[in-house]
Amino acid sequence: MKSFLNQLDPLSRRQFAMRTAKTALGVSLLPFGAGSRAMAAEGAGFGKAKHVIFLYMSGGMTHIDTFDPKDGSTKSPKAPIKTKADGIDRIGGYLPKLAEQAKKMTIVRSMTSKTGVHEAGSYIMKTGYEPRGTIIHPSMGAWASHFQGRIKGVMLPDSVTVGGGGGHPGAGFFPPSLSPVPISSAEAGLQNIRPSSGDDVFQKRVSLMNEFDSGFRNKFKSEDVKAYTEFYEETMKLLKSEDLKAFDISQESAETKAKYGPGFGAGCLLARRLVEHGVRFVEVNLGGWDMHNTIDTAMDRNGNTLDTGFAALLQDLEDKGLLESTLVCLGSEFGRTPDINENDGRDHYPSAYSTVFAGAGIKGGYVHGSTDKDGRKVADKQATPSDFQATIGHAMGLPVDEVVMSPSNRPFTVGDKGNPILDIFA
Amino acid sequence: MKTSKILLTSVCCAVIGAVTAQAATAPASRMWTDTKGRQVEATFQAMEGDNILLQTKDGTTHRFPLTNLSAEDQQIAQSLKATTPVQPKALDASIAQAASKIDYLVAKGVVRANPQRAKDGLPPITSYNPLTSDEQFVRRIYLDVVGRIPSHDEALAFIQDSSPTKRAKLIDMLLDSEGYNSHMFNYLADMMRVTENFDNNNVRGVPYIKWLKEQVAANLPWDKVVHKMMVTSGKMWGEDADAPATGYLLRDSGMPLDNLANTLTIFLGTDVACAQCHDHPFADWTQKQFYEMASFFGATTTRLNGKDFEGGDRGMMLMTEAEKIIEANGGDLTRIRNGLQQYIGANRVAVMDRKENTMKLPHDYKYKDGKPGDPVKPKFITWAKSDASNPAYKQGKKDEEKLRNSFAAWMTHKENPRFAMTIANRLWKKAFGSGVAEPVTNIDDPKNATNPELLLHLTAEMKRLAFNLKDFQRLVYNTKAYQAEATTEAIAMGTPYYFQGPQLRRMSAEQTWDSYMTLMLGNPDTRKKPAQDLYSRAVNLDLANPKLDAKTVLMKYDAFRNIGKTQAAMMNSAEEGGDSMMMEGNMMGGRGGRGMEYFRASELPQPARDGHFLTEFGQSRRLLIDGGSKVGSVPQVLMLMNGSAQQMLTQSGSPVLTQIEAAKTPEEKVDTLFLSVMSRKPTANEQALAKREIESSGSDAFPNLVWALINTREFIFVQ
Repeated sequence: MKSFLNQLDPLSRRQFAMRTAKTALGVSLLPFGAGSRAMAAEGAGFGKAKHVIFLYMSGGMTHIDTFDPKDGSTKSPKAPIKTKADGIDRIGGYLPKLAEQAKKMTIVRSMTSKTGVHEAGSYIMKTGYEPRGTIIHPSMGAWASHFQGRIKGVMLPDSVTVGGGGGHPGAGFFPPSLSPVPISSAEAGLQNIRPSSGDDVFQKRVSLMNEFDSGFRNKFKSEDVKAYTEFYEETMKLLKSEDLKAFDISQESAETKAKYGPGFGAGCLLARRLVEHGVRFVEVNLGGWDMHNTIDTAMDRNGNTLDTGFAALLQDLEDKGLLESTLVCLGSEFGRTPDINENDGRDHYPSAYSTVFAGAGIKGGYVHGSTDKDGRKVADKQATPSDFQATIGHAMGLPVDEVVMSPSNRPFTVGDKGNPILDIFA
Repeated sequence: MKTSKILLTSVCCAVIGAVTAQAATAPASRMWTDTKGRQVEATFQAMEGDNILLQTKDGTTHRFPLTNLSAEDQQIAQSLKATTPVQPKALDASIAQAASKIDYLVAKGVVRANPQRAKDGLPPITSYNPLTSDEQFVRRIYLDVVGRIPSHDEALAFIQDSSPTKRAKLIDMLLDSEGYNSHMFNYLADMMRVTENFDNNNVRGVPYIKWLKEQVAANLPWDKVVHKMMVTSGKMWGEDADAPATGYLLRDSGMPLDNLANTLTIFLGTDVACAQCHDHPFADWTQKQFYEMASFFGATTTRLNGKDFEGGDRGMMLMTEAEKIIEANGGDLTRIRNGLQQYIGANRVAVMDRKENTMKLPHDYKYKDGKPGDPVKPKFITWAKSDASNPAYKQGKKDEEKLRNSFAAWMTHKENPRFAMTIANRLWKKAFGSGVAEPVTNIDDPKNATNPELLLHLTAEMKRLAFNLKDFQRLVYNTKAYQAEATTEAIAMGTPYYFQGPQLRRMSAEQTWDSYMTLMLGNPDTRKKPAQDLYSRAVNLDLANPKLDAKTVLMKYDAFRNIGKTQAAMMNSAEEGGDSMMMEGNMMGGRGGRGMEYFRASELPQPARDGHFLTEFGQSRRLLIDGGSKVGSVPQVLMLMNGSAQQMLTQSGSPVLTQIEAAKTPEEKVDTLFLSVMSRKPTANEQALAKREIESSGSDAFPNLVWALINTREFIFVQ
């Protein structure tokens, strides 16, 4: 694939880049190079994930207190607990509900990353690429839209992020129209969906806007201007759509809402609703993992939040028959130091940490890889953030080997040439 | 070859032209005839694409299609376009000269785009884009210098001003206005990740924010500001006027390595973050080098322990005493303990230099030049071999307690190889949309900048101006390159840009909000929240003072909690965005309900709460350096169309609508509308469109028109 590109003269490389940019708009997808990478793509679990729910633990999730418990000098303040699955010996004592759900999940205990800086670490986990000052790499939802086009039959966006604030790589070098739609609060859902004026007046205002703006839009050909115009068009279509209710978790029963819990839990519930209505990629953020101080107190709070939301999500997806087509994955920018620091907390630790996968053809009750006795180093089957991203891409059926040229004519692949962790697929 | 020769000649002329600007005469006014035979006396100003700009005697600039003129006058216009020198500016001669030098270097650099453009099938660039019209300029300069659109009156005053030096005068006026302080604070706050909520719950950045605003307002030289942030000791709410400068280091309390990586990125345009954990994979930095730099902070703590207090930390004892008092009074200890502990703990968050440098190589160090746990000696990084003889590097490193001062002296030294360059490159980007070297956070080799000579020259100018950021920006804004029209073609991500004019940029979240505030208040710049800092007084405990007793601690803690509650209530109302002020029914005169909402972004919580207009529009969460986003989204568009911010402008009685209604004729009303919202007069076409709407909707027309205009791309993009 790459050698083929290198043979092209600069002009045809540029044309290729232009075409990739065009397909990125979701207009069409040309099966370029499909033959060569289809072979590489064969393998367990390929394309089983029609939807992905990515639970992002922002701040650096401690591995020893959650999914990779230890007994020696680095042990958690709280004793680990047994799980319902034979293949997973035990998990952190803060996660009793997830222990019940263990039969649905694979834990990858052999993650390692290069950076202990939050921003860079999050970026790598969300794109598979190290941050560079000259380009923004796409997040996985945008990659999927690029390869698979816009989701059909619904007016909903392809990808949504819930919580988490700014700093998301979004569409990267793809057009901004492929960016995930950010929802700041799951409870509030999508805001401002009712016009402040009557519908007729609203329509009139919109057409006045377009008329007054036509000169400017003709003059300035920038992608940013075009993207804003597309956002307006997309928004207008969404407002007229029945699918709008997918964003409204108030339509769920009080019982269901209670199972998920507030905040992050509500985010998980919203993710399930969105997936149910056809959204392809939902990222739900849970902050509060930067536990430099008193890890026991911090874990009591955050562990419970994660435990409640994540466990409810897995059970609910199964009950609704969505788990087979939905990949749920959990990741964080790094782990935390095995040694407890002077403030009873743990500091940043990229050398070893854990991620979790479930649903969409993932093995249940399985552990992939391990760390050494005290959780300091990866002992077996090391996996990188690029592998993590490539695994998601593989599950979604994306051609992870295919080289895509950015508008500035640089070659990129899903997950920066990471290797999908095929061992975790049943 | 030929092209560059011609270009050079014209640039030389331009240099001379600008230097002798005061002597130059403006083009004479003449009688212009249109295709219908109508005549007007006016001065040719410029061509703007297919439009011509004429200035009538009353100072108003008129813009209309060239084809409206008679064939003969069209020809005259074309010839004037070719020969008319750029509008003469009676600048201070030294500024004019300095601006010309920059323009000369830009012009030399612009042609470098052409080989690649030829390959891409694009026409060559020979010089800057055409000069902006007054209408384009007034909007842009307000947004760039004071961070908001001009009000109706401000735009009109500039457009009608017939002085040939009006641009330079406006730049001076704006740089000295309150609005500059507000906008510059927003820029620095985004760059330095300034936040009210530090990692420790009770530690808030309030005093630091106030201090930073004061430095901007006083226009303290940049090297001095940064030096203070590096060397100051104590608590953020200490008594010394500069004590809040510790906020910079305390922002990352407990994470000194991250803080250092950010410091190098922000102030030296050098990204060594990767070297924190391993040798830098893409550059020459080794992990050892990173730790050698960190060693300058190896004796510095940002969290005090018992040994750091003379006579010991009395916090533990006070806590035990306080618990006894609470229990004796039947209070619920479990509910109070945590909060009280944090309250006392906040007073341990302070910068202090200890006697010993404890910096060591990390336990997983894997390179041959050291072993895990080895002590690391401080050593400055270098970018080039010649740096060895650079005077910035002559700093003492013996006294461990003063290592931090050595680092600060080296970093902010005039001759530091990157310090002046980094801030110069950043301020260039602030004006043009991209830096001479990109990314501004990692300049790497200046030779790889799109225009290395320009970068070196801007660096030299920053030094010559002794890090006076106002004077430096004055220079940049007075260049012809800056005053040229924005580039209209698409610029692909990652391709070099040569500054034939500024890039088209979306307004930042703060610029957009502050522009809405302008439509609400006319001039929002002087509206400030009371500067009284209750927080600092309430949180401050002197843990070393033997006279401090538990009873006093409990009383102060109670006061502290009450402030917290009041503020939380105020912030909750802010979270509603405009809704609560609508409820108050108190829009007239621009006094928002509960005094919270109608402030510029710089006066609101840093950063704004989730769901606020600013957040939705991409204000930085202040986690990342330059974390503000200019990307659109569906929720954002929904907010622009249906949110409370547009309602406050389109609701009957809103200040902008009141001003429009005050105009006499329908045409004048539409003029007022356009000057208020778009900072320009409407075209004939737009007048007709507005007329149609007025005839169709009657009194509802203007709310509809305001809505339509604030939702245009033209509104949120800076030309």
